[in-house]
Amino acid sequence: MRIRNGWAALLIGLPLAFMAAFFLVPFFVVVIASFQTKDGVWSLANYTRILGDSYYPGVLYVTFKLSLIATLVSFAIGYPIAYYIVNVVRSRGARRICYVLVLMPLFTSNIVRSFGWMILLGRQGLVNTTLMAFGLTDRPIPILFTELSIIIGLTYILVPFMVLTVAGVLQTIDKSLVEAGLDLGASRFVTFVKVTFPLSLPGVVAGSLIVFTLAVSAYVVPSIMSGGRTVVMAMSIFEQYGSLFDFNFGAALAVGLLVVTLVLIALYLFFIERQPTGRQAVRA
Amino acid sequence: MMTLSERIGRVFLLIFVWAGLAFLTIPLAIIVAVSFTETEYLTFPPVGFTLRWYQRFLADTSYLDAIGLSVSLAVASTVIAVLLGIPAALAITRSNLPGVKIINAIFLAPLILPTIVIGAALLQYASMLGFARSYTALLVGHVVIVVPYILRTVLASLARFDQTLEEASLDLGASAFSTFFLVTLPIIKPGLVAGALFALIISWINVELSIFNATATLMPIPVKLFNYVQYAIDPMVAAISAGTIYVAIVAVVLLDIFVGIDRVATPSK
Repeated sequence: MRIRNGWAALLIGLPLAFMAAFFLVPFFVVVIASFQTKDGVWSLANYTRILGDSYYPGVLYVTFKLSLIATLVSFAIGYPIAYYIVNVVRSRGARRICYVLVLMPLFTSNIVRSFGWMILLGRQGLVNTTLMAFGLTDRPIPILFTELSIIIGLTYILVPFMVLTVAGVLQTIDKSLVEAGLDLGASRFVTFVKVTFPLSLPGVVAGSLIVFTLAVSAYVVPSIMSGGRTVVMAMSIFEQYGSLFDFNFGAALAVGLLVVTLVLIALYLFFIERQPTGRQAVRA
Repeated sequence: MMTLSERIGRVFLLIFVWAGLAFLTIPLAIIVAVSFTETEYLTFPPVGFTLRWYQRFLADTSYLDAIGLSVSLAVASTVIAVLLGIPAALAITRSNLPGVKIINAIFLAPLILPTIVIGAALLQYASMLGFARSYTALLVGHVVIVVPYILRTVLASLARFDQTLEEASLDLGASAFSTFFLVTLPIIKPGLVAGALFALIISWINVELSIFNATATLMPIPVKLFNYVQYAIDPMVAAISAGTIYVAIVAVVLLDIFVGIDRVATPSK
């Protein structure tokens, strides 16, 4: 049923007005504020301050480093799970269990998930007591509140996103191509390396970019898992807005994070557009 | 069919995958387990079994207030998002309005932009207009971030179904209005339910957005938990956290019943 454009404009009017008022305009406010000083004078001072001293470049470096490692580990854990769900599991029941296990963490807040890791990684935590029980170490290793614990926490948050994105693309691969590989005498491993994996690459790139974007902008996990000892971009932004009340400088930091994210999204769209069916696999 | 090395490879894959799935499950299971400990401090394995920590947080009205606020925000933002999302989806799929692609992108953008930036922008904007740190500021923010979930699933359902059903209804003399309620809406219902459940959950667990406009008396439960976890962790925190895990379990079960979990996870099927 087609809708005449007059009616369509009426239907879309209110929703669009809402998004304009509470989403688009606030972003413009932030961008404008980032180019102004506290007194409303136009200036690049906020940006020169970010790049000027060594503190913020350091924060950026740490943010990117931790995000990159977490993305790689998420891929290493997430890809096999996605492959298993799509190509190995035969029964619908087992597939459902897998999806429940993947979605459950996704439906739990980042605080609760990080809290679980605090219990596991602490000095008396399960990880340390297990290591000691096996005689691998004679005293608790400091894991919690280190960069390692941030990476573990981030990875934990990100794996479900990787699994769902990669599974979406794996599902669109024509099974007859895999069968052709097997029929022509290639082993399952060789077929995977030469057929399935290359065909799934757009999903890998898309998943990695989604996950990396989420990691770069993560706030809760680094805050909890670092115990405040490591500062990432999102924490700096909240500090400016939430406790220092320097909205203009905070705005410049937010714009910086936004620009990075937009570049990543542009890359994401570039790669996903190259796969004809990839668009359907786009999800959060 | 499979050679020995393929069998070994498959066993390794199986071990690796289930280790990965355990990695996803264990932290949540640990929280649930320690929430029942009789000790005054967190310990795993838990000692004994008690519901004391659940009773303690349920007796604390500040937690109940926080839960109430979160439920109210989740329900209100989902309802508003549905009311905005359905007409938007209809206009996007069923018209040739110019700029539809851009409009669609505007609605879906909150999905991929950093929530912390959306939160900061909303605080700054609300401060400018004088409604910062209010229920309104929290609510509009939640609507903005849950709208994409509704829109996406409704768009998918609208694109999928057989439009001749609507034409038949119109041919048989039903108005466009009653055709929508009698034909279109029932058909897109599963997609709508899935989108609404996602929206409820996304709002219910949000910290990054709420934290900017929250106050001491206007604090959704995840924000309250976040503030608490940073200075103390005890079995009561575990009990509250476990409570939110039970909510997640209920949500996953409802999704499976109403829509089918595998369809939700990979909607391209």
